[in-house]
Amino acid sequence: MLEVDAEVDRRDFTVRAALSVAPGERLALFGPSGAGKTTVLETIAGLVHPRRARIVLAERVLTSTDEPVTAVPPWQRRVGLLRQDPGLFPHLSVRANLLYGRQETDADAAAELEELSDVLGIEGLLRAMPAGLSGGQAHRVALGRLLLSHCDALLLDEPYTGLDASLRRTLTDLVVSLVGQREVPAILVAHELAEAQAFADRLVVLDRGEVLQQGRPDEVVLSPATRRVAELVGYTAFVPVRSAREDSREPTAAPGPADLVAAVHPDRVIGGRQPDRGLVLAGVVASCRPAGALWEIAVMAGEVGVTARLPEATPAGQEVQITVTDPPHFGPDGTAVPGTMRSSLTAAGSEAASGRWTGVRR
Amino acid sequence: MGASWVTVTPPAPGPVGSGGAAVPRGLRHANRSLAVAGTFVIWVALLGPVIALVTHLSWGSITTSLSAPGAFEPLILSVESGAVTLGVLVLLGTPLAWALARGTLPFPRVWEAGVLATLLLPPLVIGLLLVFMVGPYTPIGHLLSGLHLSATDTFLALVIAQVYESAPYYILGAQAAFSGVDPRLEQQAALLGDTPLRLFRRITVPLAAPGLAMALAIAWARAMGAFGAVVIIAYHPTALPLEIWTSLQETGLPSALPFALVLLVVALPLPLAAYIWSARARSRRRG
Repeated sequence: MLEVDAEVDRRDFTVRAALSVAPGERLALFGPSGAGKTTVLETIAGLVHPRRARIVLAERVLTSTDEPVTAVPPWQRRVGLLRQDPGLFPHLSVRANLLYGRQETDADAAAELEELSDVLGIEGLLRAMPAGLSGGQAHRVALGRLLLSHCDALLLDEPYTGLDASLRRTLTDLVVSLVGQREVPAILVAHELAEAQAFADRLVVLDRGEVLQQGRPDEVVLSPATRRVAELVGYTAFVPVRSAREDSREPTAAPGPADLVAAVHPDRVIGGRQPDRGLVLAGVVASCRPAGALWEIAVMAGEVGVTARLPEATPAGQEVQITVTDPPHFGPDGTAVPGTMRSSLTAAGSEAASGRWTGVRR
Repeated sequence: MGASWVTVTPPAPGPVGSGGAAVPRGLRHANRSLAVAGTFVIWVALLGPVIALVTHLSWGSITTSLSAPGAFEPLILSVESGAVTLGVLVLLGTPLAWALARGTLPFPRVWEAGVLATLLLPPLVIGLLLVFMVGPYTPIGHLLSGLHLSATDTFLALVIAQVYESAPYYILGAQAAFSGVDPRLEQQAALLGDTPLRLFRRITVPLAAPGLAMALAIAWARAMGAFGAVVIIAYHPTALPLEIWTSLQETGLPSALPFALVLLVVALPLPLAAYIWSARARSRRRG
């Protein structure tokens, strides 16, 4: 078990992280660049000095700013860190790199090396020098080096940035299976949501040093706790909506300012009017361009621009109706509408066909 | 704004990657020849003194000068003192260079300025100042005499003069070599279990080695050719550069030139070997 409770001062803000990762669990620290994700990893690795911290790994206290003050040096932490740059030692062969963390007298190392290099698909590269390796090969070697060193925790700092998509998928699958086999806690830092989702059992959203939300990746994406989390996980538009007054018999006619916003994720929009599935918006297509196997369509719904990724192209200028499926809602303070109210809204939303509640700009 | 007036012309077929307007082959050839010729002129001008040395020496003058009794003593003395100087530089200069490179010292620019100051002082001035520092009437001189040592006109004085003349070249070169080592590789080694000393031996030194070798080679060349400070505090025993000077003074240029050739022949192999080894090590790492 890796337990982290740390505060680290940075120039512009303080990073505060309280995390707990079980053996074999995979946690993704997700957030924008400069959010403090790498700082958290470096604090766990002992490369950054925290203002206040207690870090425990496999029942060993690595850092404690409380009495008794403890700061285990990096070389005694048994924490493996893999960065975007694989950091292979250029003067050593692949074999020597792989065995770097092992004692020269370790008799088991050679057998383990052979087995692991088979799994990693680098058995033919053992005599090569790092300069002759491709990006993917170098990452496999770096990963093998960490695993051969028998670290008690695996920290991955955006390790696959710059690699092509299929190689990233392969390496992610490999790490996922190896973490499971080794039963070590693993933390991946990612600023791309897809990468974090592909890796993690649990997602932690970090922004300007603060943990905004943590939970299962699908839970965080479908039910962001705040509007900021929603922005970070890919919601691109926030449509003002009115909640129904419980005593109103004609809710759509109820005047008054919008008190909530419904968040729109481009991937959670379907074409056409389907009020039983969510919020229906009507508007005019401003632009349409290919996005992967779909079409990214910008719709002006009143004054709000909404982006949707749909399977069919729609020419600019055409009037359309789209349905935002089960959108999360946020109050004026930016926090998600609490569960009970949310369900009442969702129930009300199911009556959107009859206009019980609807987008203000509709 | 309408764009009907824009006419898009397909690019004319041409060699792939030719970029802008093609330069005629003849002109390209002339440019290249001119560049090679210009470089050759500069190179020859730089080697002018060496060429003059070789062309003004006769086999007879070499054998006459070098067959005189004790002719090789200055050479042996220079090699011995040069080797000791290198040892001192490695022992004392390497940690300083490493600390400067890693910026671990407070006010790092002040430390660097100190090293640069010794580089900027003319060797003759260094010699004069060394008299004030380690001469027989100074505290250090008294301390040395208590140990039955002297820092004037002795082997020790020669080493001190050579160290002061060559140290900044080694320290600044070694600093650049250590700065070239990615600190993240050192962090990685530490996370793989290396103590600071062990990672210095296994990562920092091997990665800095090509630069360190060059720095050491330059320091060696400076030590072998040290004259300005040596002439002030270590006139005796006579090292090779001083032998060239005294031969010139006593018997003229022809008898001094063979010693200059010896100095060149002895001092050159180490820098040359270091240069070749560094280049090969760097290209091996680049793949």
